[in-house]
Amino acid sequence: MTRFLLVRLGGALLSIVAASMLAFVLMRLVPGDPARQVLGQFATPDQLAAFRADNGLDGSIVEQYGRFVGNFVQGDWGTSFASGAPVRQLIGQRLPATIELVLVAFAGAVASALALALVSTYRPRAWLDRLVSGIAFVGMGTPPFWLGLLCLAVFFQQTHLLPGPDGRISPDLAPFPDRTGFMTLDALLAGRLDAFGSAVSHLLLPAFVLGFAMFAFLVRVLRASLLEVADEPFIAAAQCKGLSRWQAFTRHALPNAALPALTASGLVLGQLLTGSVLVEAVFDWPGIGGLVVHGIANKDYTVVQIFVLLSAVLYVSVNLLVDLLAAALDPRISLHAGTRRRRRDAPRAAAAAPPTARSEGA
Amino acid sequence: MGVTVPTAAAPPLRARRRSPRRDRALWTCVGIFALIVLAAVSAPLWWHASPTDTDPLAALQGPAWAHPMGTDQVGRDMLARVLGGARISLLAASSVALVGGSLGALLGIAAGLGGRLLDGGLMRIFDAMLAFPPVIFAMAVTLGIGVGLATACVGVALSAVPYVARVVRSDVLRVRNAGHVEAAHALGVPPAQIVRRHVVPHVLPTALVQIASLFSFSIVAIAALGFIGLGAQIPTPEWGTTITEGSALVLVGKWWVSTFPGLCLLIVTAASAVIAERIRVRLDPRNRSGRALP
Repeated sequence: MTRFLLVRLGGALLSIVAASMLAFVLMRLVPGDPARQVLGQFATPDQLAAFRADNGLDGSIVEQYGRFVGNFVQGDWGTSFASGAPVRQLIGQRLPATIELVLVAFAGAVASALALALVSTYRPRAWLDRLVSGIAFVGMGTPPFWLGLLCLAVFFQQTHLLPGPDGRISPDLAPFPDRTGFMTLDALLAGRLDAFGSAVSHLLLPAFVLGFAMFAFLVRVLRASLLEVADEPFIAAAQCKGLSRWQAFTRHALPNAALPALTASGLVLGQLLTGSVLVEAVFDWPGIGGLVVHGIANKDYTVVQIFVLLSAVLYVSVNLLVDLLAAALDPRISLHAGTRRRRRDAPRAAAAAPPTARSEGA
Repeated sequence: MGVTVPTAAAPPLRARRRSPRRDRALWTCVGIFALIVLAAVSAPLWWHASPTDTDPLAALQGPAWAHPMGTDQVGRDMLARVLGGARISLLAASSVALVGGSLGALLGIAAGLGGRLLDGGLMRIFDAMLAFPPVIFAMAVTLGIGVGLATACVGVALSAVPYVARVVRSDVLRVRNAGHVEAAHALGVPPAQIVRRHVVPHVLPTALVQIASLFSFSIVAIAALGFIGLGAQIPTPEWGTTITEGSALVLVGKWWVSTFPGLCLLIVTAASAVIAERIRVRLDPRNRSGRALP
């Protein structure tokens, strides 16, 4: 296990280092001289040189890379050329809004995917089967920004059921202390039910839109693995032992089927990171995604580059965490030969066995 | 409590193989897809308006007979724009899928067949690329080489390369050690011919499956880049860009400008995803739920 841990950790670290090189190369490719862009065309060579020295743009490319990584690790993420504020401060201010949105979207998507996958595999039915695969295809093909606009048109513009894109809370509510950065939690802590309602209603649409694609993806993965597990002899054995089908499902099928979904949730994070950029742009959500889109519009590329690098760090770490978690939960996963024996081999092994074992379960 | 007889005998739905000829969902999707392609290609023949002609007097009209999808803020016919966008988006996505998929397949084959150095080097590069969520990688590439539809396509194609390459590489590694390759080797077939005749044909289905599923990913990714201003620029009727143009109008009740391009996008991606899925089941039974692009 220690070896497994070390190998994975080293691999992840290597990935991040390589990714930082890639991000560095890409940002140095950006056409135009940043010093020129910020200082304008009438800057003197001295001013340009001073600016380059201030922003780590002088010296050889290797030196620049070293400084860039050093600064990044130390939390010095440069200055936003558009607003003049340090990028770290900008991101820090907006982080809670994004985390709140992503958490709600993630929780909603996981819960509803779990429910739908269970319902559709508990007793397989053709129409449910079609419904689920329909949802999966539609959900994964729906551009989140478009779904967001559609929801705004229906729930805000036409029916006024939910608030429009005006941030995290209705602007005409009296302010309350900002303790955690999470609007809903802060409102509850301050005992303000009106503010809580407003925060929740502002959260509903963006979270739904952000979670929808994820929900579609998870429902597909979960359902496929549940179907496979439900067919395995140990479920039949559990039922023969006297468990109801529901008990067999929740106690034995679900934990076994959850593993592929856990592995898939690392991929889901990629969707979340991308989706948050798009969804926050649509709903004018004051989070990091909104910051990135504004950065693109204002040619404020420092912000965008830091976001790109941060998302790589986050993506790699979460995937590492998921891998380790899966290894801890499933003793069959080991690092032997560098490959993971997959769950899907189990049913095939069962099928290869003499058919009596299976027909007895039937 | 009576002992209930286990009902686990319900046939696993997924295992039921349908013959592709009677697969109604598949043929519906193929039909829809073909219809959209046909409509987009032949648009100038049957629809009078052009995607760029403005008519300020007819600005922001709702869907009606004269303009089945309404008009935008400068009076351009939305049907013509959606059809023009279909030409751009479909062409862009299919070239991205083809170029990115083939490049990935080639690199995958090279990594699988090449020596330890080549394999290791390529895999490290892919690892670095895979450290980014794909659309964010495409974003970074587009920023690096300049904003526009062509560069966005390059970004999306590059972001897909490592996914394809890894799948193809693992397939090559499997085939390389297969009995028939060993036999050919023993018979004295030259290495180049072994690769051409005995390895590549076995890997081809995998590559095709990857290219097919790349299509729906790239069409959404290109639109997403267009939406945040990194892809096609504003007057171009590319679907993502058109959705951006209509996004402010949605809040004042003019929903049609961004709804129709998005709807077409959704229909095309869903249809192509179904087609790709069926191709995958058909060609690649091994990779039932393999790592796909999110």
